[in-house]
Amino acid sequence: MTKTITEQKLRSLMDLLLKEGRRVVAPRQAGSIVLYEPIDSGEQLVLGIMPRRSAKETFFPLCETILTYGKDGNGVMVSDVDAGAFPETILVGAPPCDAAAPAVLDAVFSWDYNDEFFLERRKKTIIIGLACTAADDACFCTAVGLSPRDDKGSDLFLTPVAGGGYLCDAVTKKGKVFLDTYASFLAGGEAKPLPSAEPAATPLDLAGIKDWLESNFESPLWQEFADRCAGCGACAFLCPVCHCFDIVDEGTETKGARRKSWDACGFGKFTNHASGHNPRDIQNKRYRNRIMHKFKYYQDKFGQTLCTGCGRCVRSCPVGIDIRAVLEEIQAKP
Amino acid sequence: MCDHTKNIYKPQLATIEAMIDETPDVRTLRLVFQDEAVRESFSFRAGQFAEYSAFGAGESTFCIASSPTRKGYIECCFRATGRVTEALRRLEVGETIGVRGPYGNSFPIESFFGKNLVFVAGGIALPPLRTVIWNCLDWRDKFGDITIVYGARTEADLVYKHELKEWQERGDVRLVKTVDPGGNSPGWDGKVGFVPTILEEAAPAAENTIGLVCGPPIMIKFTLPVLEKLGFKDDSIYTTLENRMKCGLGKCGRCNVGNVYVCKDGPVFTAAQVKGMPQEF
Repeated sequence: MTKTITEQKLRSLMDLLLKEGRRVVAPRQAGSIVLYEPIDSGEQLVLGIMPRRSAKETFFPLCETILTYGKDGNGVMVSDVDAGAFPETILVGAPPCDAAAPAVLDAVFSWDYNDEFFLERRKKTIIIGLACTAADDACFCTAVGLSPRDDKGSDLFLTPVAGGGYLCDAVTKKGKVFLDTYASFLAGGEAKPLPSAEPAATPLDLAGIKDWLESNFESPLWQEFADRCAGCGACAFLCPVCHCFDIVDEGTETKGARRKSWDACGFGKFTNHASGHNPRDIQNKRYRNRIMHKFKYYQDKFGQTLCTGCGRCVRSCPVGIDIRAVLEEIQAKP
Repeated sequence: MCDHTKNIYKPQLATIEAMIDETPDVRTLRLVFQDEAVRESFSFRAGQFAEYSAFGAGESTFCIASSPTRKGYIECCFRATGRVTEALRRLEVGETIGVRGPYGNSFPIESFFGKNLVFVAGGIALPPLRTVIWNCLDWRDKFGDITIVYGARTEADLVYKHELKEWQERGDVRLVKTVDPGGNSPGWDGKVGFVPTILEEAAPAAENTIGLVCGPPIMIKFTLPVLEKLGFKDDSIYTTLENRMKCGLGKCGRCNVGNVYVCKDGPVFTAAQVKGMPQEF
């Protein structure tokens, strides 16, 4: 049977979850922009606005400590971070492009070696996705196989209904258990979903694009595509599925922490060898890697496209590079 | 993988037991794991690499340069050239460094049994072959002829000088050492010329022979055609790719050549595999 929840009940539910000691991460106002951040009260929840940055940092923080070390007269001590102590988290209000992203990253973070920092947070997080009723002109989830009402990656999925409130569907077993636990916040009955957003993007031929990438590593088009790229890395940092990282020590020889922090394949020194040799020494090679990784390599390795069509790279590129135009141009090639 | 801790980024601690300055800026460290259980259980294959940390500076990637047949310690060899390697160089015998690994694939040494081996190395790239060389010398009766062609810019840049002497004096190894033109002193007892040229001159037979090549990209570029000319097939030539890495675990995204992650699918590849990759290394 269809369940519904009013907006007020949804906010009250978040209050209860916070009271129970859960961390609730949701779009909230941060100065003049909206960001995914932990909220302190259900009132802070902002629904229906796409946050400036993606939700990936709920699982993969911009910078996190992976161990601490100290040195004294007895030698060096390395202390682990207790991933078991990561808080139970509810990520609520994520549009489909953000809700679908963490599941795409499961593949790389569990490939042979398990990255407990990512995977523990995944295990401890319930994702409550939210259907989009408005798209802007950078949205293109429909071009890469998602849609404004896709519940992929969500444990629970909210669809706005006419007259306020949401349809509330359990998508996973985890979501079902959650719904059963908090059934008192829900109501039954029929409700008419609001029409979902309609991004202007038409589906891309991802298989055809992959084929072109396969045989056009040396194409002169790469220079054309990337001529303007400033290598600022904004696209990678805002992307819900870009996941390159650096490992650095912060501290002194005697005391400090080792941290994992976001990095970007667009940065010039990303692949620089100790000898000074750099396999991706110019920007168009770096931009090529970005496109190849998203639309070919990740497919080759893990059978998935490394893009959810959120459009953040399009909105935020300081030199106006539009990944859709690049993909459409590739698609138009024989 | 011998590290059973859950945190895949957490290194084991090792004590610097000895160090050798191979050249003015290249140093070998001999390392012994501090944890007895790790010391007993740590095993690796020739060709695998590790992440070595100087706490406070970070981690650096080098191959394990000692042979898996020599138990109880591992060795690494590095040039002091950046933040981490400079910090590693500041450490003294008895001090502690971190080691994560072993990672990556390895040379399929068992498949070389019964064959001749030709090692070709340049400069600081002898360590990834030195592990195989000692592994094979410790199993000497498993192989036919063993030839080592090794060169560096100058005499001073040759690493493992003491071992070159040892190989030169063994009756069961043919060592051809060379330095680039102008890199020799009056008393130099080796060849003068670039590695590919000297290899061509030495002309080891390709029949039933495996070629193992490590060196700077430019040396590899000119060595592969020479091996081809000598009759070596691409699938009997092995090399290692040495891309920049951070995690070593197939996650951090920087060591890929096309869809190949050097840290997991490599670092050991056949020439046939390398030729099939996008030329971006």
